[in-house]
This record gives sequence, C-alpha cells and structure tokens, in this order.
Amino acid sequence: MNGLKLYFRYIRLQLLSGVQYKGWPIMILQVIIVVISDPIGLIFLFSRFGSIGAWTVERIILIYAMAVTGFGLAETFFRGFDYFPWQMIRNGDFDRLLLRPRSLFLQVAGSRFHIHRMARVGGGIIAIIWCLMRLNFQPTLINIAIIVLGLIGGLFTYCGVFVMTSGIAFFTIQGLDWIFIFTNGSYQVTRCPMDYMPRILRYMFTFFMPMLVISYYPASAALGWGEALWTGFLALPAGVAFLMLSLGVWRIGVRHYKSTGS
Amino acid sequence: MSKERSSFIGHLRACLSIFRIKTAQGFQYRMAGLAGATTGIFWVLIEITVYTIFYTYADTREAGPMAGLSLEQAVSYAWLAQIFFLMQPMSIDSEILGKITSGDVGIEMCRPMDLYFHWFAKTAASRLVPLFWRGSITLIAGLLMPLSYRLTGPATLTGLLFTLISLFSAFLLCSSYAMLVCAVRLNIPWGDGPTYIMMLIGGVLSGGYLPLQLWPQFLQGFLLIQPFAGYLDIPLRFYVGTLMPSEGGWAIGLQLAWSAVFMVIGKTLMSRRLKNIVIQGG
Repeated sequence: MNGLKLYFRYIRLQLLSGVQYKGWPIMILQVIIVVISDPIGLIFLFSRFGSIGAWTVERIILIYAMAVTGFGLAETFFRGFDYFPWQMIRNGDFDRLLLRPRSLFLQVAGSRFHIHRMARVGGGIIAIIWCLMRLNFQPTLINIAIIVLGLIGGLFTYCGVFVMTSGIAFFTIQGLDWIFIFTNGSYQVTRCPMDYMPRILRYMFTFFMPMLVISYYPASAALGWGEALWTGFLALPAGVAFLMLSLGVWRIGVRHYKSTGS
Repeated sequence: MSKERSSFIGHLRACLSIFRIKTAQGFQYRMAGLAGATTGIFWVLIEITVYTIFYTYADTREAGPMAGLSLEQAVSYAWLAQIFFLMQPMSIDSEILGKITSGDVGIEMCRPMDLYFHWFAKTAASRLVPLFWRGSITLIAGLLMPLSYRLTGPATLTGLLFTLISLFSAFLLCSSYAMLVCAVRLNIPWGDGPTYIMMLIGGVLSGGYLPLQLWPQFLQGFLLIQPFAGYLDIPLRFYVGTLMPSEGGWAIGLQLAWSAVFMVIGKTLMSRRLKNIVIQGG
C-alpha cells in the first residue's frame, strides 16, 4: 500500500511540473493528430477498395483500437520504463534509485508521466465504442467484461514490453530500435484481417507477445465472429504472464548492472 | 565587390565543412542503423501484406489499378518510401535543440556566420546520415526479397534519372522545411508541440502513409500541388512510372519553388525571433 501511495505521489509531482509548460494543451492536440493520422491510410484503403469479404472497416478498426488503447494505457502509467533505457541508464541516474529503500519497479514507473498520452487512450476508447455500436454489440455483462478485461490485459502486455526493453538495455543501449516492432509496430499488424494474416505473424503475436490475444480474441468472442467464448477471457492471464516473463528479464538486468555515467 | 565575393565563398566553404564534419560524426552509429533497418523492413513487409490483401481479396479489387497504381508499383513504392522518408524532418536535430533549450544560442550568435545557413548545413547533414546506413540496408533487403515482395526496377531509365534529380530537390525541400520548423521552435515556451505537429502533417501528406494516388479521388488535385508531395511522392512517381519524364519540368520546378518559399519564410522568421530572443539558462 505504501508503495502505491508513493507511485501516485510521483505521478502527481510529474503532472504538476508538466502543466507548468504553457504548451501542454498543444501536446494534447499533437497526440490527437497522431491518433487520427495513424490509421488514415487504412481508412482510405477501405474507402477505395471496399470490405474484404466479412472484414469491414469497423472490424479492423475495432481490433486496431483495442491494441492501441492497451498501448496507450501502458504508456500513460508506465511511461518511466519507456524512457528508462535512453535516459536513466545512459546518464547514470539509475544509481540514485538503487540507493533508495523502495521498490525499483515503482520508482522507475513513476519517473515520468505525460498527461497528453491520455489522448491516445481517449481516442482509442471512442473508436472502440463507435465500432461496437456499428457492429451490433450486445451489451451483456459477459461481453462488456470481455472487452474491459481485454484492455487491462493490453495494459499489462505493453507494460511488459517496456519492462523487457529496459531489462535488455542493461546489456546494450545501442541499437535497441528493433524493439519498436513490439511497441508501435505491433499494433500495425492488426491491419491485416486475421484470415489472411501470414502464419508467422499470427504465431509471434499470439504465443510470444500476446498482442492478438488482447485485441482480436476479445473482439471476436464478444461479437461472435467464430472464436470460442473462452478465448476472449485469455487476455488478462496472457498479459500477466508476459509481464512476469519481462520482470524476469528486468531482474537479471538489474543484477548485472554496472554503473554508467558520472 | 571582390571582397564581398570572397567572404561569400568563405562562408559557403565553412558551411560545407560543417556539413562534412556532421556527416562523419553520424557515420559512427552503424549499429543504430542496422537496428533501425530491422524495424523498417518489418514495417514494409506488413505494409506489402496489407496491399496484397486489398489488391487480391477486396470487394472492389480493381480499384487500385483504376487509380493508376498496380500492386507491383505499390510494392516498389512501399520500399522506396521506407528508405526516403528518412530524409523527412522527424525531429529537430538534437544538437540544435540542445542549443535552443540550454541557451547556447547566444554563443552561436557570436559566430561570424549567418546562423540560418550554419544550421541549415547541420540540419541537411542530419537528414543525409540515416540514408546511408539504414537506407542502404533497407534497399538491399528490398532487392533480395522473394518475387511478390520485391522492389522492382525503375519503369524507364529516363524515369530513374528524373527520380534522382527529384530526390535531390526533395532533400533541399526537407531541409528547408526542417529549418522553418526550427525557426518556430525558437519560441521556447511553446515547447515541442507545434513543431511536432508541423512535421507530422508533412509526413502524412508526403505519401509515406499511403501512396497519394490511393487517397480519395476528390483530393488528388490538391495532393499533387501541396508542398509535401515533393518530399516523397513526386520522386517515387517518376520511379514507378506514374509520372512521365515529360511532366518532369513542372514537378521538379514545384519542389524547388516550395523549397524557396520555406527558405524565405524560415529565414525571415528566424531573424525576427533572434532580434528579441530570451536566452534560457545562464
């Protein structure tokens, strides 16, 4: 409990210092433009080519938005890990955290908070609701639970990616760019309709990083596209399992840490 | 007159050596280039998969060829876009940004050089460096792919020649827009927001997200004359052969005209900002 309080105090301090910059409403505008412009190519493709069999633009955008919202949530609450490799390790600030008798995880997670990252979450949720309404979603308790658990699973999954990146960063900070495949790159994969997705992508994003488990399967289960109902509930356990794996990598990294910077 | 001329040449020479030093510095980041290329290649492969699905299975699958772009052309476009989008300004050069936010602009202003052209040389160099490592690795990967994913050769040899000329103009255009963004950034309290939005709009309208020919029909006229088509779309149209060399004059002229516009606005804005700049830090 004490740790959680500390985390929220960190977040509050970050928030207050962020609002000091006059530019912060523009930052929110910036993320809104990112959220709109990112799928714009896909929407134009659909408007020119029409649907792909059963795969309408609403279906694809729903899956895409599930993944993006999960990513946005992780980015909002665990932003510190996103910055960790590039900033904290490089300049040696991490040494200071090691001296404090508090959870390293919480200290790193709370080291950044950008209010404008919420815009991605907001945009994603609006897109999800719009798609669900267009797709005749039955708002039963089970269906709503599946979607919400999917988003929470997404939060854990993407948090796992950030933590894993930070863990790997203890060994090398050069050439870590390939990790974008699992962050911003991963939800681009949802642009392919499931039936036509190359098998290697499907397996990679189901069994290694469970991106499809937190986006496609909940959507499919809640709207009855053919996947079994229970697969919709896998999002949360899969997300937690992936985060645990990442925490393992992170712990190994911390143990190997030799200070850098001055 | 001759004194003026020799000072101009000296100035130009200084800018060129700044350009050279900065390029050489950038070459040290080979690993970063390789890692970046991995991401880029992954990105293109997904893009190609999506195009292939639309061109083969969509309800109106003939829409692509009707818009004047075959699947093969779209695939080549995707590869080249992944390479040459690297010229686009994605962020202000970190060295220059550091100088703006830390107050070192003051020192820069003491140099007996025009700040705009000094920074222009640096910005141009930082546009060029990623092209060498990341770009060449992506290019080789594109040429070696299996047939349906491969980057195919240019439509015609004259087309290739026009592509190269047009890429050079695109490089000028990208650098001059980057400098305009930089001049806006000199207004420090605004932070990164406005500059980021400016760069993002450029990126979207360049065709990097989707070839401009596949955008909605009613936008086509606007899309071709807006400045950012010159970033990427015009050179690539020459390559895949949807823009004929006979139309090269106005297309490249358009690129150069927009570069000139951005340079004039950038330089004016910058000198106005520098007149009453508030130095941050001490």
